[in-house]
Amino acid sequence: MSDLPEYVIDRVFDAPRAMVWRAWTDPELLARWYGPGVETIIHKFDLKPGGTWLNEMKWGDKGDLSKAVFLEVVPEEKLVWHHSSTDTDWNIASNPMMPDWPRVLLTTVTFEDAGAKTKLRLAWVPFEASEAEIACFAGAVAGMGKGWESGFAIMDEIFAELQA
Amino acid sequence: MELSGYTYSTPNLDAVFAALADPTRRAILSRLAEGQASVNEIAAPFDISQPAVSKHLKVLERAGLIARGVDEQRRPARLTAENLAAAVDWLTEFKQFWTTSFDQLDDVLNQMKQAEAKDTDHE
Repeated sequence: MSDLPEYVIDRVFDAPRAMVWRAWTDPELLARWYGPGVETIIHKFDLKPGGTWLNEMKWGDKGDLSKAVFLEVVPEEKLVWHHSSTDTDWNIASNPMMPDWPRVLLTTVTFEDAGAKTKLRLAWVPFEASEAEIACFAGAVAGMGKGWESGFAIMDEIFAELQA
Repeated sequence: MELSGYTYSTPNLDAVFAALADPTRRAILSRLAEGQASVNEIAAPFDISQPAVSKHLKVLERAGLIARGVDEQRRPARLTAENLAAAVDWLTEFKQFWTTSFDQLDDVLNQMKQAEAKDTDHE
């Protein structure tokens, strides 16, 4: 279990923990920030273990549907859910561009005081994933982590070479 | 530029990411970014055998990340850009999803703080 690839993001928000929690768990507030520069529509948000969050993101003529099934809801401390892409009937679906991207990612968000601010950690781990899904995710995590910032450097060199 | 047998209409990012999951293969790509190299040249800085390097090169070749030359003796390997570019694009997008969303969350929190301050003023 412990050797599963994990993607972790840490971030400190300049607001008290209760407020950050509210921004995450009030669907009206959540829709205002979740999704980069897209229109986010929350079709359902049932914040309790076993409850679901059905999310739609729209940009241009494209869209993305995803589903979260909450496992743990500890107010102002912790949110845990299974995250999946879905088809238009909200059934779990694989990523068309990457069939081996993990279909279900165990997502854990923790909220911690950092003085008057709030430290947030988001972690993604493949859930009940096949070997191929784990390998795919491991490669992506390696590509994003500090271990492979050179990936971008390699690209720069290739482009420079192609243009020369 | 075009190498026979390795054209992908949609890059198979599965294979690309699986190939990138291995640190030795990432190191080989870094080496090839400096220019094409033979198996011997690639193996030199690593503490692994030539057959092991050949195996890694096969995985990279299948993922469309490198191409091998036709020179039967050396079969020099070199990087091919397209699939690596697609993978880097995908990762950039993935990473940006959260960083940009969190920037937007900062804005929402600021608005919440302002609204709260206003409410206090009115009391």
